[in-house]
Amino acid sequence: MTAENGALPTSGGVIHDIGYRRYTGPRLGRPGIVRALVWHSLRSSVGIGRGAKAKIIPVIMFVVMCLPAVANAVSVAQGGHRLVPYDTYLFQLRVLVMIIFVAAQAPELVSRDLRSHVLPLYFCRPLRRLDYPLAKLIAFTLACLALIEIPLLLLYLGTITQAHGPGAIWDQTKALIPGLLVGVLWAVLLAAIGLALASLTGRRAYATGSIAIYFFLTWILAGLLDNIGGAGRHGPPTGGAGTAAAGARLSGLVSPFTTVDGVRQWLGGTSRGPIPPPGGYGPLYGVMFLLLLAAALGILAARYRKASIS
Amino acid sequence: MTAQLPLRAGPPGGPGPRRADAAVIETTALTMRYPGPVTALDGLTVQVEPGITGLVGANGAGKSTLIKILLGLLPASSGQAAVLGLDCAREPLQIRTLTGYMPEHDCLPPDVSATEFVTHLGRMSGLPPTSAKERAADSLRHVGLYEERYRMIGTYSTGMKQRVKLAQALVGDPRLMLLDEPTNGLDPAGRAAMLDLIARIGSEFGISMLVSSHLLGEIEQICDHLVVIDGGRLLRADSMTSFTQVSQVLLVEVDEGLAELAAGLAARGLRPKPEDRGLLVEIVSPATYDEVRDTVADLALPLHRLEQRRRRVEELFREERA
Repeated sequence: MTAENGALPTSGGVIHDIGYRRYTGPRLGRPGIVRALVWHSLRSSVGIGRGAKAKIIPVIMFVVMCLPAVANAVSVAQGGHRLVPYDTYLFQLRVLVMIIFVAAQAPELVSRDLRSHVLPLYFCRPLRRLDYPLAKLIAFTLACLALIEIPLLLLYLGTITQAHGPGAIWDQTKALIPGLLVGVLWAVLLAAIGLALASLTGRRAYATGSIAIYFFLTWILAGLLDNIGGAGRHGPPTGGAGTAAAGARLSGLVSPFTTVDGVRQWLGGTSRGPIPPPGGYGPLYGVMFLLLLAAALGILAARYRKASIS
Repeated sequence: MTAQLPLRAGPPGGPGPRRADAAVIETTALTMRYPGPVTALDGLTVQVEPGITGLVGANGAGKSTLIKILLGLLPASSGQAAVLGLDCAREPLQIRTLTGYMPEHDCLPPDVSATEFVTHLGRMSGLPPTSAKERAADSLRHVGLYEERYRMIGTYSTGMKQRVKLAQALVGDPRLMLLDEPTNGLDPAGRAAMLDLIARIGSEFGISMLVSSHLLGEIEQICDHLVVIDGGRLLRADSMTSFTQVSQVLLVEVDEGLAELAAGLAARGLRPKPEDRGLLVEIVSPATYDEVRDTVADLALPLHRLEQRRRRVEELFREERA
């Protein structure tokens, strides 16, 4: 053993043991501790304080996600119009980036602690049982939110630099706000699902795999069902019900991404999405969104309620 | 939020909101039944005084269950438990603010340095960032980790990992530390070092300790008090001095003639018991020394060793149960 038995090193002069010092300063209450855990988790979800390797995926994903906004800024500066809609952004790109980000980073937040059995050290501190998953959820939702909304804001800034007059700027702002709200739906749902799946295993590779497989498979399945359901995929979106078969209009319920997009279209989003407008089935998408979110939160809560204490 | 907890308002160094001489742990008819049905604790009533207390029992005696109930992590089936005057069922957060817990099993991430890890757990104990950093450095120094504290925990030996576990329990400046089998998995030298460390924290730092172990002989060396449980019931709870009052023995070793010596001692009314290559004689009074000396001299035996020993509490129990 390299460590000496509590003795102070005495070579090279006398080192005075100042002895034990009591802590008399202020202590954070439970909310303060949760906030500290949120901050710590937010940092580690983007790789800060984790070494250079941990930053690779968050940084690359962020850069990729910003590319359309940058391209838009260039195009607008050369006199063109805004290329990218606020409410869908580039849907396929966003799906891809979010799958990779969530699959890579959600395990970073929860699987590590499960793997090394650190949880008892949290539970024996002045926290309640569900404070730990709550803090992780808040942190990861914020991380996803940043990844989705910052490019939207760049898109907005790039566009309004060339806007003429307050009227044009106001038009852009009016279009941006629904886009930001859709981004919140994305972040909340994907963060919850990602953490719920990651919390089921302490093995990082399994966690990443299960998240990626779930997101990819359901997304592909939604596309397949849409095709089988047939019709309505060609030509400009009319937004009216009855332009697509019921099968196609329900196909989006299979995947979280298309579910969120169904909600967007139901709530009045006009940009063309990956699935035909749900029409009268719109409320179903709302229900599905809430069900998915509730299931994810339920899994997460159950997982930590029964987590072993020692 | 930096709210001062009301229970911190007491005199600094005091063992919490209660009088200094109050029990740090108090249980009344504490019972814990797991579905199964397994009874882990069966009507346990015990008081633990300030100081270092050994919690001794075989594996499965209910030690870990008791610690979890004390931390407010497990609701007892019936009965009451209080730590530092706070009710375990109703005030778990206050209790956990004032206690440090060292789990039995491995609980350290390999890819973080000890400094980072203990600092983070200091934050989780409610310390502001700067204080957490300072106290983490102090705690690691107190447990004997110096330069190596900047290394990844994955590179540590078992003994060093146990020290990190101890440091994280110490970082929040607890009034009471609950250590679950702190010597588990250590080699004899590591065990001795860990026990020294615990004794030092308990006596010099003035932090009360409940140290669980299934090895009575090991833990009795450092304890002021001993609580022995068996099958979830209290076997005995007392101060070490009362345990050892009747346990002074004299070891006599001769190079040859052990049988003669045994007969000679027996003839004087002492009841020698064979031990290794010598005889153990209970010291009933100072005259015992003289009688042993005279017996050896009378028989003209080559005396090899005469040693006063504290008989291990374990042996006492063996006798009491027999």
